[in-house]
Amino acid sequence: MPAAASLRHATTSRGRANVALITTDKDQGSTPELEIRNLVKRFTPQSVVGPISLKVAAGEFVSLLGPSGCGKTTTLRCIAGFETPSEGSILLTGAAIERQPPNRRNIGLVFQNYALFPHLTIFENVAFGLRLRRIGKAELIQRVGQALELVGLPDLGGRYPRQLSGGQQQRIAIARSVVLEPRILLFDEPLSNLDLKLRLAMRKELRELQRRLGTTAVYVTHDQGEALALSDRIVVMSNGRIEQIGSPLEIYERPANTFVADFIGGSNLIDAVVMDVDAGATIIRTDGGLTLRASRTASRVGDRVVAMVRPERVRLIADAEVAAENRLNARIKELTYLGQDFQLAIDVPPEQELMVVARACAERGLAAGDQVVVAVDATDVLVLSK
Amino acid sequence: MTVSQPRQRPYWVALVGPLGLYLVVFLVIPFINIIVLSFYTHSPTRIWTTELTIANYIDLMDASFMTVLLRTLRLGGVCTVICVLFGYPLAYFLARASRRTALIGLFFLVMPLMVSAVIRTFGWLVILGRNGLVNSAITAFGLERLGLLYNETAVVIGLANVFLPFMVLPLMASIERINPALEEAARNLGASWLQTFYRVILPLSRAGLISGCLLVYSAAISAFVVPMLMGGARVRVIGRQIYDPLLISYSWPNASAIATLLVIATTCFAFAVLALMRRSARQEQGT
Repeated sequence: MPAAASLRHATTSRGRANVALITTDKDQGSTPELEIRNLVKRFTPQSVVGPISLKVAAGEFVSLLGPSGCGKTTTLRCIAGFETPSEGSILLTGAAIERQPPNRRNIGLVFQNYALFPHLTIFENVAFGLRLRRIGKAELIQRVGQALELVGLPDLGGRYPRQLSGGQQQRIAIARSVVLEPRILLFDEPLSNLDLKLRLAMRKELRELQRRLGTTAVYVTHDQGEALALSDRIVVMSNGRIEQIGSPLEIYERPANTFVADFIGGSNLIDAVVMDVDAGATIIRTDGGLTLRASRTASRVGDRVVAMVRPERVRLIADAEVAAENRLNARIKELTYLGQDFQLAIDVPPEQELMVVARACAERGLAAGDQVVVAVDATDVLVLSK
Repeated sequence: MTVSQPRQRPYWVALVGPLGLYLVVFLVIPFINIIVLSFYTHSPTRIWTTELTIANYIDLMDASFMTVLLRTLRLGGVCTVICVLFGYPLAYFLARASRRTALIGLFFLVMPLMVSAVIRTFGWLVILGRNGLVNSAITAFGLERLGLLYNETAVVIGLANVFLPFMVLPLMASIERINPALEEAARNLGASWLQTFYRVILPLSRAGLISGCLLVYSAAISAFVVPMLMGGARVRVIGRQIYDPLLISYSWPNASAIATLLVIATTCFAFAVLALMRRSARQEQGT
């Protein structure tokens, strides 16, 4: 779309970090677009967010992900200027902005409830910031037109917000922000008021739009699917602290701790003891009496650990497949049909229960009570410290 | 195809009937009586005779009455403006405050209405009077006594004090309905605090502002006790202009003519304002 290219330089030299399993540090010596340094926000002595440190490169899409009350929205509001940090600083291309009033920052914010002005037409909503900047009439009309075209709603300028659907309103809210060519775009759970289908469609659109404009984006969400699909990097937060920063792949495949493992995706979290550490693997014994080969860790023999196994990495195998690692005989305790997959709860003797997500059970005609053989690759058994 | 609808019971009769009856008996009928009276002829011996005349209205065309009328309207206007200036920040504060703060604030706001007008006004006399608090403080510093009472300023102070709640309550109600995110959105798009007020809060609370002005203005131009006690003989207002012929010279037809004029003026003003409000509401809905 030509409108996109003229609004902002079309693409940026963003590294394809999200493909590699382990990303290199984003800090490549150059000044990051946005840097948060030891940000602390104290509400009451009991309620503290931070310290939080984070660098966001130009053109990068970073999500702040976590349960409600984890501090992600507070962090976003500090960047936007609606909260003043108690400590620490926020730098925009190296310049501290944390004491600037919100209207001087030129940081776009897309609200959860869209926050369109109900007394203004769509055109005037999008023109709001341009009018404050005393943009001339001809340029104003042109830029509003481009922004509306960018979000695919060029003909709605004369309508009022209440005449638009939720999805349309959210696009206008985005147009209203991007028309000002902000240095950073902030999103505060922008899709959470939309129904599922629309949410998935908007997710894709949002990502394409951000790529086209090349604007740095910080996106707050509690929806892990959204964060995984949209982000270059995800910042997982809980209780006012950062639990892990990494690419979606890293976050899912190599969670740093049990919180991240538990919060992102389904997981079996099993208490265990390290029995032996050799060159290729760690041998652990679960509290349920199971001995498993797990991926390598820094843990030492005798340490109490938590083993994490993704349910979809537990494979149901045919008896003949002898070479499998961590081969276990089990009994199906419960079987739930989910459409695409089955979810199984299996009992592994002596007394270990595992959740398994698998396909193709129907062909095998499995039912609760059946004996099965499962296997897990050692690399799929992660050892997390307690 | 006809859909048989269950017959609507006229439940509204039960809901507003008693009040309607009350208003008809004690407001509409007396008012019609006043209108009729205003066309009767004044008689020094019998108060009125039923001879019809428009002399009572023609009498109002003189300069001294016009001075009183204009003064009343001006006082009402100044009082309304002052209520807006003090009321907007207060209404905004209360609308955005915590429940507890808002409740305490509302209590103090409405308190003047709980005290009788005469007592409240005497309170002002104690403060502003010749030997009142302000003058005592001033003379203690060796300065000249000020004439704080019996002028238009004193009347405006007294009126604004009583009618402030009439401005704040409707304003507060409409500000409460404005999503705070809209203010943040405006700030985020580059609006200063003042720009946010003019471009977002003011247009979105216009309905409350208009009803507040309407209430304060109508109440202020028909006020009687405050202008009489705080304005004295020098600040005559319409209320006084009705009171005097009514109870001193017993010229009831004369008083009725003024009263009718006042009611008509207030009603026209109210309708004009409400029409304006309807139009702005339509604009907001985008139809």
